[in-house]
Amino acid sequence: MRKGAQIVLDCLRAEGVELAFGYPGGAIMPLYDALEGSGIRHVLTRHEQGAVFAAEGYARATGKVGVAIATSGPGATNLVTGIADAKMDSVPLVCITGQVRSPLIGSDAFQETDVFGMTLSLTKWNRLVRSIDEIPRVIAEGFHWARSGRPGPVVIDIPVDMLKASMDFQGAVQFTPPRAADHVGTESTFAATLIALLQQAKKPVALVGAGAKLSGAVDGLQQLLDLLNIPAFATVHGLGAVKQDSPYYVGMVGMHGTRAANMALDETDLLLVFGARLDDRVTGEPTRFAQHAKIVHFEIDPGQLDRVRPCELPVIGNLAETIPAFYQEARKAHLPDFSGWRALACGPERAEPKKPGLSHPTKSFLQELFSRMPQNGTILADVGQHQMWSAQCFRASSPRGFITSGGLGAMGFALPAAVGVQLAKPETTVLCVSGDGGFQMNIQELATVHRLALPIKMVIIDNKFLGMVRQWQELFFDRNYAETDLSDNPDFVEIAKAYKISASLLKEEDFLDPEQATRVAESLDRFLRSEKPELLVFECHPEANVYPMVPAGASLSEMVFEE
Amino acid sequence: MHIFHVRYRNTQGTLMRILSAASRRGIDLPYVQAEPVEHAHKVTLLMDVNAKQVGQLCRDWRAIVDVVDVRPGAPIKELWDHAHLGLPHPPESVTSIENARSATA
Repeated sequence: MRKGAQIVLDCLRAEGVELAFGYPGGAIMPLYDALEGSGIRHVLTRHEQGAVFAAEGYARATGKVGVAIATSGPGATNLVTGIADAKMDSVPLVCITGQVRSPLIGSDAFQETDVFGMTLSLTKWNRLVRSIDEIPRVIAEGFHWARSGRPGPVVIDIPVDMLKASMDFQGAVQFTPPRAADHVGTESTFAATLIALLQQAKKPVALVGAGAKLSGAVDGLQQLLDLLNIPAFATVHGLGAVKQDSPYYVGMVGMHGTRAANMALDETDLLLVFGARLDDRVTGEPTRFAQHAKIVHFEIDPGQLDRVRPCELPVIGNLAETIPAFYQEARKAHLPDFSGWRALACGPERAEPKKPGLSHPTKSFLQELFSRMPQNGTILADVGQHQMWSAQCFRASSPRGFITSGGLGAMGFALPAAVGVQLAKPETTVLCVSGDGGFQMNIQELATVHRLALPIKMVIIDNKFLGMVRQWQELFFDRNYAETDLSDNPDFVEIAKAYKISASLLKEEDFLDPEQATRVAESLDRFLRSEKPELLVFECHPEANVYPMVPAGASLSEMVFEE
Repeated sequence: MHIFHVRYRNTQGTLMRILSAASRRGIDLPYVQAEPVEHAHKVTLLMDVNAKQVGQLCRDWRAIVDVVDVRPGAPIKELWDHAHLGLPHPPESVTSIENARSATA
């Protein structure tokens, strides 16, 4: 006989779980009681949101399912932002929550919330366990849905009496889905149709999203792009999927993308989309998005098709299969030579005007820092101006080398996510870039970093404002800086020291001072090479903005540049 | 008015997921009928939606794990009339109807 809590842990082990992040509490106590000897390492964060973001970081860095554990009521509600984040960014995640005793469910008992109802629209799949013998099947099914197809979050809510009860346990079960195929089939002749479209096209382009990385299609995609030789660009989550030194790569597309990428997207007559959902940060004003183009959409999730406007050719399926299948046909076909169009789209005349404005020092600092990162290092960015500057400066070629909260845009993501990344990749350099606003949203996770002695390199870009909101206030609200002033920020260096973490301050003017260049360079190298956690606060100009920028409601061709 | 037929396995929360695809878009649900059909369940929904919302709803429903089939129908006036059955919307309570009768007697 085994208790429900032991069965849960046995089933997690059977799913390959070695690491879980969580925070204990009343209704989940039997699970914590059974942890020792279960074979699962548990990391105590200092807030449930820290746990779920850490689990996300682990999942985003490895492609494995991240696991977060919390108690009922406030424990579960604190997970919600991370669950929504995982849904938006297609992150495989399983959250286990304790629930009040089953006879008390619905009675507004102490620390009771309707976790099932609350997470219904945020999850790919969720379940409230109703009897102990359901546990093995529910966990197997939950992991299946979390990692299959388009990955996503799953919540399994287990009443505490199920965790305490015992039953004769025969071992973990395997789940076989009742429906093997997707609703929409791949068009069997898509390759011939796409080749015909390419033969008619004059200005084809490739837009690469996270799906190319999630499906493990990066090598096949690079091979195809080498063959096609057409301008290619990436969304924030697609960064790293295309080698950045490829002659056809023109950088990031969208609201803060490069001029070359946005111009090419605006002019194209054939848009090949590889695993991107085309959200409004990528398209600009949807009615004016790629107006002259036919769209071919490689996508695993039929739900992502036709969101902006109908695509001419949907290619539904795993990109790791559909891209090589097309490559095999394309290399045998006679395709036009697009090198003239590629040279124009990627040429120097389409680069942004180089005017060193207020953001120049911060971007130079990030470029300097990133250039010193090892090739296999991982950069995490929180949410805000520093996120976009980091995305613009990211030059690594590792597909999972840049991690951020893109779809939900959840401030406070980066620090706890870095905990998960560093635990997943203990040998690699993990650099976590945050703003002064976002860092304070999960600042308590410095305690987790310290306890585990994780050698995370933390950078705060400190402009003493909620910078991105302030930028919009400056540009669109007549400089009415309502409630974005953070000029009374705490002393981050002293705070880090209170957590026994080494910290230092670098001011913008010192970074720019030629006489200090050697000292600064040495200090950056020391910072990145340290085997301990380190915090570096970079104080920048409070009114530095992110450019280029496509204002809300404008088309991609209406970019604004720094003056 | 558009009619939709969604077949689904009647597992925990699946009907709620189907309905919340409409409610998250602020779409009223004047007519909903769920019933067992063969080995699955079917829910029939009548909604006032535009062409873009039809596409969005169908994609959202198809992405639900336990949804088996989605059939959007052409705009239907008759079913809308049938749904109303000539009664006021929202329905009045018996008491208020009786009060109205007595007031006009």
